[in-house]
Amino acid sequence: MHEMECRVLSIQSHVVRGYVGNKSASFPLQVLGFEVDSINSVQFSNHTGYSHWKGQVLTADELHVLYEGIKLNNVHHYDYVLTGYTRDTSFLEMVVDIIQELKRANPNLVYVCDPVLGDHGSMYVPQNLHPVYKNKVVPVADIITPNQFEAELLTGKNISTEKDAVEVMDLLHKMGPDTVVITSSDLPSRLGDRFLVSLGSQRTMMPDGTKSTQRVRMEIPKVDAVFVGTGDLFAAMLLAWTHHYPNDLKTACEKTFSVMHHVIQRTISYAHELAGPGRRPSPPQLELRMVQSKADIEDPAIVMEATVLTL
Amino acid sequence: FEMECRVLSIQSHVVRGYVGNKSASFPLQVLGFEVDSINSVQFSNHTGYAHWKGQVLTAEELNVLYDGIKLNNVHHYDYVLTGYTRDTSFLETVVDIVQELKRMNPKLVYVCDPVMGDQGSMYVPENILPVYRDKVVAVCLVGYIGLHLFHLMVLMIMLMVSLLFQVMDLLHQMGPDTVVLTSTDLPSPRGDQFLVALGSQKIVRPDGTKSTQKIRMDMPKVDAVFVGTGDLFAAMLLAWTHLHPNDLKAACEKTISVMHHVIKRTMTYANEMAGQGKRPNPAQLELRMVQSKKDIEDPAIVVEATVL
Repeated sequence: MHEMECRVLSIQSHVVRGYVGNKSASFPLQVLGFEVDSINSVQFSNHTGYSHWKGQVLTADELHVLYEGIKLNNVHHYDYVLTGYTRDTSFLEMVVDIIQELKRANPNLVYVCDPVLGDHGSMYVPQNLHPVYKNKVVPVADIITPNQFEAELLTGKNISTEKDAVEVMDLLHKMGPDTVVITSSDLPSRLGDRFLVSLGSQRTMMPDGTKSTQRVRMEIPKVDAVFVGTGDLFAAMLLAWTHHYPNDLKTACEKTFSVMHHVIQRTISYAHELAGPGRRPSPPQLELRMVQSKADIEDPAIVMEATVLTL
Repeated sequence: FEMECRVLSIQSHVVRGYVGNKSASFPLQVLGFEVDSINSVQFSNHTGYAHWKGQVLTAEELNVLYDGIKLNNVHHYDYVLTGYTRDTSFLETVVDIVQELKRMNPKLVYVCDPVMGDQGSMYVPENILPVYRDKVVAVCLVGYIGLHLFHLMVLMIMLMVSLLFQVMDLLHQMGPDTVVLTSTDLPSPRGDQFLVALGSQKIVRPDGTKSTQKIRMDMPKVDAVFVGTGDLFAAMLLAWTHLHPNDLKAACEKTISVMHHVIKRTMTYANEMAGQGKRPNPAQLELRMVQSKKDIEDPAIVVEATVL
């Protein structure tokens, strides 16, 4: 059997316990046969949603030192780069420098970026990250996974209708990425208020040189819990499934959202079991059931259908 | 029915390649273990490459991370796993943590690869030895020790199986109920392309009496220098002694078999990458870990352990 040779550089947080950042992204990508090189931007005991958290952060200089080591050995050849939650502008700028160099080493490199800025109307990273994402990061990204708030912030345009969302995704394409997935929005779902709407848009070059855009829409069941690490898992799985379905955003999204569904369902069941009847599960109890979901990660049963938008 | 088993692994992290936590985590997770990992260092790659760069965690920083876990009251582990450490104060902090975790869970099993050296020389600072001897081994329930340790600890020169088992009994007395000598210079009856590994496990029979199961394995030598194989071995021995308690024979057969499959796949790939007649370099010799997932999940047995 021919083995897949695909190497990802993932620059994200590490937590001793739990599944966020690199802990959320690495195992599923490895299970799918990707080689994952990981630079840990921080090492914390656990994610910051627990009552307590402690640990250390990597500086932009230390990041550069690690990259230098890789480069000196002439092994700085990657097919993908993956990044997520970052709090520091100089760190983010160093990431951009590294990506630009990696793209010179491999012009086919795909940069998958979750432009984490905030949600539900407010930013939860320092304000000065916004211009860095807008002016430096997104322009070198190939795939981005903003939520509605982040998509609006990056483009300066509000989303009230599906038409607005399509326009915002077109604006994001103009900024750089050929693939955009708005992971969640407040748009009303045709399946009722227990569902949220996600949208995706992929721009491809046709043989005759013209550009074609495939747009998809998905109705995603809401869950009554706050999960941490799901965005990181989403970006990693979108990397994997767009890799296997490069010109088929519909299928890539169906697989990705289906994996999310299986992992989340398993996690909710377990969390409620641990918490007991009528009690809200705690953050430790809500950690994603990642290793237990291995079979779903390898071969996700499709549980939702994406609609292709015809405009 | 899902296995609920949580491991705390305190080992190195490399950005690229498979040593330390990178070597131990994926296979344990693939087998269904929850792995909490504290990275004792973050390096670009292992130190066998032409270049390597990175940062180390101090004993103080290790304490801080453990503190975070403790403050959330989630410091409950079934296993602790450690490997290559260069720093005595770091190692002493590890011991303190393990002792506290054992108070939380008296059934905790500490799997320790007391990495000190091989082939007659030490490759960690000399002052590490007394820490292992006096503090670490005492808290080990399972210990994997290269032949060199015996030379230093008990000043033995002759290499005979019965003598080695006497030495393993000494180690049992120091703490661990399970000892595996991962490689020795004993001559193998199968010839010089094989090396001998020995294991000893204290077990309690159904009738309550105590006994020691002793085994011996002949393993094919490989003509390459691998890095990270010891870390993989310790992780897989953790897994297979967990899944086959009181059966060191089965646990060792599975563990050695996994090693065999991973190493064989790696050698084939490395030689392909290097090209005809060329020796593969460290980058090419990185373990083919993700490609070996199926062998990790369900290793075909390729070596038989003899019960002595």
